[in-house]
Amino acid sequence: MRVYARFPFLFLLPSLAGFLAFNLGPILTSLVLSFVEYDGLRPLTLETIRENWVGLANYRRLLEDPVFHKAFWNTLFYVGVAVPLEIVLALLLALGLNRPWRGVKVLRTLYLLPTVTSVVAVGLLWRWVLNPTVGPVNLFLRFIGEKLVALWQAFGAAPPPGLVWLAKEGPGWLSDPNWAMWGVILASVWAGVGMRMLIFLAGLQNINKEYLEAASLDGANTLQRFFYVVLPLLSPTVFLNTLLAMIGSFQVFGLIYTMTGGGPLDSTNVLMLYLYRKAFGTFPFEMGYASAIAWVLFLILFALTYLQWVLRRRWVLEET
Amino acid sequence: MKLLARLWDGVVFLLLLLGGITMLVPFFWMVSTSLKAPGAVFDLPVEVWPKELHFENYQRVLTSVPFARWYLNSLIVALGLTFLNLTSGAMAGYAFARFRFRGQGALFLLFLATLMIPVHVLIIPLFILMRNLGWVDTYYALILPGLFDAFAIFLMRQHFLQLPKELEEAAIVDGATPWQVYWRIALPLAAPALATLGTFTFLAGWNSFLWPLIVTNSLEMRTLTVGLAVFQNQFSTEWTVLMAGLTLGTVPPILVFLLAQRYFIQGLTLGSLKG
Repeated sequence: MRVYARFPFLFLLPSLAGFLAFNLGPILTSLVLSFVEYDGLRPLTLETIRENWVGLANYRRLLEDPVFHKAFWNTLFYVGVAVPLEIVLALLLALGLNRPWRGVKVLRTLYLLPTVTSVVAVGLLWRWVLNPTVGPVNLFLRFIGEKLVALWQAFGAAPPPGLVWLAKEGPGWLSDPNWAMWGVILASVWAGVGMRMLIFLAGLQNINKEYLEAASLDGANTLQRFFYVVLPLLSPTVFLNTLLAMIGSFQVFGLIYTMTGGGPLDSTNVLMLYLYRKAFGTFPFEMGYASAIAWVLFLILFALTYLQWVLRRRWVLEET
Repeated sequence: MKLLARLWDGVVFLLLLLGGITMLVPFFWMVSTSLKAPGAVFDLPVEVWPKELHFENYQRVLTSVPFARWYLNSLIVALGLTFLNLTSGAMAGYAFARFRFRGQGALFLLFLATLMIPVHVLIIPLFILMRNLGWVDTYYALILPGLFDAFAIFLMRQHFLQLPKELEEAAIVDGATPWQVYWRIALPLAAPALATLGTFTFLAGWNSFLWPLIVTNSLEMRTLTVGLAVFQNQFSTEWTVLMAGLTLGTVPPILVFLLAQRYFIQGLTLGSLKG
């Protein structure tokens, strides 16, 4: 039974005002804008909308825009590589760190520190860390390369050109169109893995220990317990975590903005960056076109969420 | 068998430790670079830790750009957002937990549905709105859109539902108004939930980037994240100065994290539901 039986106007006033002004209003406006050609300069009135109504032209233009296509595939590539990497690494970390060791919290903290760092700091920092000549990543790769070359030569053979390249030079990372996206992925996994690990840890701690003990009594070894007990019971968390990682990764922006600005040669241009550029970046602004991009991205995310819920029914073990 | 398990545990521990140290390398590199002589960072072989510490990089970042002002802006925005978020979130959460009114379920669902809408759908019309209101480049534009947050409402509602009603009912019998009951009894009892939500909102506010980037344009109104990102070109030949700025900018979130780790981890785990 609740305490009061009337409309709590005062209590709801701030949220309702914010909801109408900053959520519902903008959503509807955004939908309308995606059917309008709008440069963002004239006042946005009903008349402006009527005069510049273009119907589905913005959406049709997306189909033929090569930069949009490039950004679309780049985003898919980024999500397709970064998310599985993050999820697998995070799961391994969570399994390792889900032990009653003393000091295990300190160890967890090490993995969580990048999570609290802003994407801007991560991006700027990794631009420096990935510097081809003096960054620690390439210093390490060159060190490994030299050792391997030396080892090869010790046996009196000519080292393969790949190794020589690694020892002398290493990847050009953000300045090389073939490597730039990999550099961004490296930074994003570093920054994101702690968060995913934390969610897995929460999931692991919810698993009833009795199941594991029962499996041990039946003679299951560590691997069998993982694949036949832990993983099925953890599957809801795996699904949720993957979905959240995908939704976040599809909207990657700050990292790309600071690390590469979409370059070189659009090799790291992604949907959010393209949307930003169209709406706010380069004059003349194309806010209608950018809104169409926003809704396509929204539809992708919506479809993804829906798909995961359908798959969830089939794949996830629900405890009853 | 026992020995093998011990050995395996040891291997896992070593791997985790190695991984953890690897995670720290970029931070270490940031601090080490920020202390090097400005011209020396491209010298080979690379110095892992500078023999002579150059603190003038910190001085440079404070004087060559309005760094202190950006810092202050970030603090104002993060604190303002936190205050707004807690106030409106707790009030609405209380309304959904303790009142019964027509359309309550529908309104709650409508609020929750906004969690499905990603920010990028909102930013263009929001920017136009801010421009029409004349709020571009002001704190209003940076803070006020945080007035409504479905996640905060959801979290606070859950918390108020868990509180026992007896105290509040006794106060009502004594003639207290709903507002007095909320302010004097329910809200103080919600302190743990407020701390969780507050830590999470503060960090999200401090680290936010896209919206402050869009809605500010003068040097003085930039927040720290935007300032550093937009003016990185100014530093691009001066990595030591940029790294000094990054070091200073990374301190507050890490401090908040270390001090409020418990609340933060709760908030993060819950906040992940927000996506």
